[in-house]
Amino acid sequence: MYRLRVNGRDSALDVPGDTPLLWALRDDLGLTGVKYGCGVGACGACTSLVDGQAARPCVRTVEECADSDVTTIEGLGGDHPVQRAWVDLDVAQCGYCQPGQIMAAVALLAEDPDPDDAAIDRALRDNVCRCGTYPRIRAAVRRAARIARGGVA
Amino acid sequence: MIGRRGFLVGAGVGVLAVSVPLPALAAGEWEPNVLLRLDSAGGITLTLPRPETGQGVRTVAAMLAAEELAVDVADLRFVQAPGDTQRYGPQSIGGSRSVQQMTVPVRTAAATARCLLVAAAARRWGVPVETCHARDGAVHHRRHGRLRYADLVDDAAAIDPATIEVTLIPRPRWRVLGGRGGRIDARDIVTGRARYGIDVRVPDRRVAAVLRPPWIGARLDTVDDSAVTGVEAVVRLDPATGVQGGVAVIATSTAAALRGRAALRATWTGGTPNADSRAWLDQLAAAVPAPEPFAHTATYRLPLLAHAPMEPMNATAHVRPDGATLWMPTQDPGGHRDRVAAFLGVDRAAVRVEPTLSGGAFGRRFETDFVMEAVVCSRAVGKPVQVVWTRDDDTRHDSYRPMSVHRLSAEVDGSGLPVRRAHDVATWPLSIFPAMPPDLVRLIGDQFPYTVPGDVRIALLPAPLRTGFWRAVYAGQFVYAEECFLGELARRARADQVDFRLRLLGESRLRPVLAAAGERLRPRRGRVRAAACALDYGSACAIVVEADRTGTPTRVVAAVDVGTTLHPSGLRAQVEGCVLDAVSTVFGAQVTVRDGAVVESSFRDYAWARIDQAPDIEVLAVDSGAPIGGLGELAYPPAAAALATAWSMARGEPVTGMPVNRPVG
Repeated sequence: MYRLRVNGRDSALDVPGDTPLLWALRDDLGLTGVKYGCGVGACGACTSLVDGQAARPCVRTVEECADSDVTTIEGLGGDHPVQRAWVDLDVAQCGYCQPGQIMAAVALLAEDPDPDDAAIDRALRDNVCRCGTYPRIRAAVRRAARIARGGVA
Repeated sequence: MIGRRGFLVGAGVGVLAVSVPLPALAAGEWEPNVLLRLDSAGGITLTLPRPETGQGVRTVAAMLAAEELAVDVADLRFVQAPGDTQRYGPQSIGGSRSVQQMTVPVRTAAATARCLLVAAAARRWGVPVETCHARDGAVHHRRHGRLRYADLVDDAAAIDPATIEVTLIPRPRWRVLGGRGGRIDARDIVTGRARYGIDVRVPDRRVAAVLRPPWIGARLDTVDDSAVTGVEAVVRLDPATGVQGGVAVIATSTAAALRGRAALRATWTGGTPNADSRAWLDQLAAAVPAPEPFAHTATYRLPLLAHAPMEPMNATAHVRPDGATLWMPTQDPGGHRDRVAAFLGVDRAAVRVEPTLSGGAFGRRFETDFVMEAVVCSRAVGKPVQVVWTRDDDTRHDSYRPMSVHRLSAEVDGSGLPVRRAHDVATWPLSIFPAMPPDLVRLIGDQFPYTVPGDVRIALLPAPLRTGFWRAVYAGQFVYAEECFLGELARRARADQVDFRLRLLGESRLRPVLAAAGERLRPRRGRVRAAACALDYGSACAIVVEADRTGTPTRVVAAVDVGTTLHPSGLRAQVEGCVLDAVSTVFGAQVTVRDGAVVESSFRDYAWARIDQAPDIEVLAVDSGAPIGGLGELAYPPAAAALATAWSMARGEPVTGMPVNRPVG
């Protein structure tokens, strides 16, 4: 039995310790917003925050994450500046990679509240979007930064 | 035609009449046709006939209905139609046809409801219909005030639609169409609430992971599951059942199924363990038809491409003795329903297909393999089974875009413009149609829009692995080769790529489109400018690319004429997506085969573009007012050719294939 704090709630996971955190979140805790894209940490679709840092639950085991604080897309609240910016600019096409993109952007803005395009590209380089929403993602991260500063009505 | 109860006659644009009486369901509920339901509590529910895979088709349907109902998109609730083409008409999403085919039925369905509501109000008030109008979910009259739709539902349901005239709202009065609306699924997507196929959770769900052939065409010989623990069943998948063959491990969770799969020991036989995609390309090169070429020639070698949608293949099936229910991302809900019914030997009415949101498709979700795996597994264990493909499965067991070799040749005039052309191609058919005649390949692929007479000759060799529809299908290869060659001729003539093409276009619909893109992206010092065009799917598209001295694209301007732009953000998104597909495939992504197996296994080695490779993209809508055309695939072939040509101009070396910057195959 492993204990984690997930989206502000204490959760107990009765799974083998080597279970990837991704499948525990999706199958055992019902957090299907955390997307499976590759299982090898190469696409970023599952990006979530583990102890405040962007992480890939598909390559973290439950055992490694025991007692950690995990935030998934479901824990972002719905009105986060990044989520608002994503809706404002109609970023998503299929939308499947976007929870991971959004969580990576959240982690970036926590470190750098006013990133330029180069910083955005560096932070999101390993989040694949197969639909080609990258130009809108860039614009949405900049917009989210402005929203967070109170610069957007 | 939009189905039995909403059967339309005289479905021209403008005035329509509705035949077949439309019975109300119950007091306070009204279904004017199969797509709409209104109730006396004020609810308006639109049934979305086609599935969403990121192309925005749900949003366009919502905008069409909201416009004609005189409400906002936010006033509508949505239900996704199950696979039932008898009831909903064509539902497949492919060939860039969805919006073309859907516009008249959805607009007409909503307009019919509006006109019946207006007629009901006019009767209630005892005034002529012409003095009433619908706005914001109510019918208004100058003297009588307003009646909400909710209060008119029962009256409207009692009117025979055949007795009223149905008119569409003309374009100058559009409030919703052509406006700023975003995706109807946007909130669900950014909160993680959006449900894709892989997110289906039904009671008693089991998950299956499938051990697949280690080389192309390998058949399972022996399987030893003695080391497999913690699973519910191990099921052999017979290739004869429509799947590619393998061993399914069925468990109560995905992690357990994958753990079980890893513990299987299997031996395999047959197939082509020595296959190599470089040899396939050489075989195609040797098969290119070889008539007497013109003076200028070039040859282009194109690779295998995988679809690689972000959501790997998956399907959930519950097979019961009397039928089946399936939940999955699909591009062909009706076709999948029919094939499952045929496989199970039941009437199609006994099979229900519920399309979920789809995390990309690009042609892949027309295939039946992932669907039948779920069906076979569910039948074996008598419970709902969700088959989940890993990324490795998805990349290495795809239905790939065929390889091809193109030899282009041209006779040119004194200014370097082609006056005769020849295009000789060797490629493979698509696996769904192994006997595909070369003429059909030509019909799909050869979309040459310029006034240069010539011949296209095609040789088809049997496909050595499974091939399938990939965004733009054969046009992705043919237009790429044609436009790269035109770019090469312009380069040899030291001509501007835009002007060169304008001189070859005649009276084409492409002329104003290319001119608009060229005007927007003028040549600059220190940069090269390339261009390419496509005239396909009833639409026109020109792409102009600017690149720096290394050939890296810095800016892309696309101009498109789809006739009338219904959803501007969606139109731009489809073109942006095509440009990124082009960046990906021109600058690195390809599938290779060595020792009988696909080498690539994830986005680590299938080198799809990342955000730092995305150029600035501007999309111009150049509406000609022509009948609405398709868009989803249109911009990919010219974008790829323009990017490759810009690379070639910047580096002073010809394009020889795709990708441009590494060996092909």
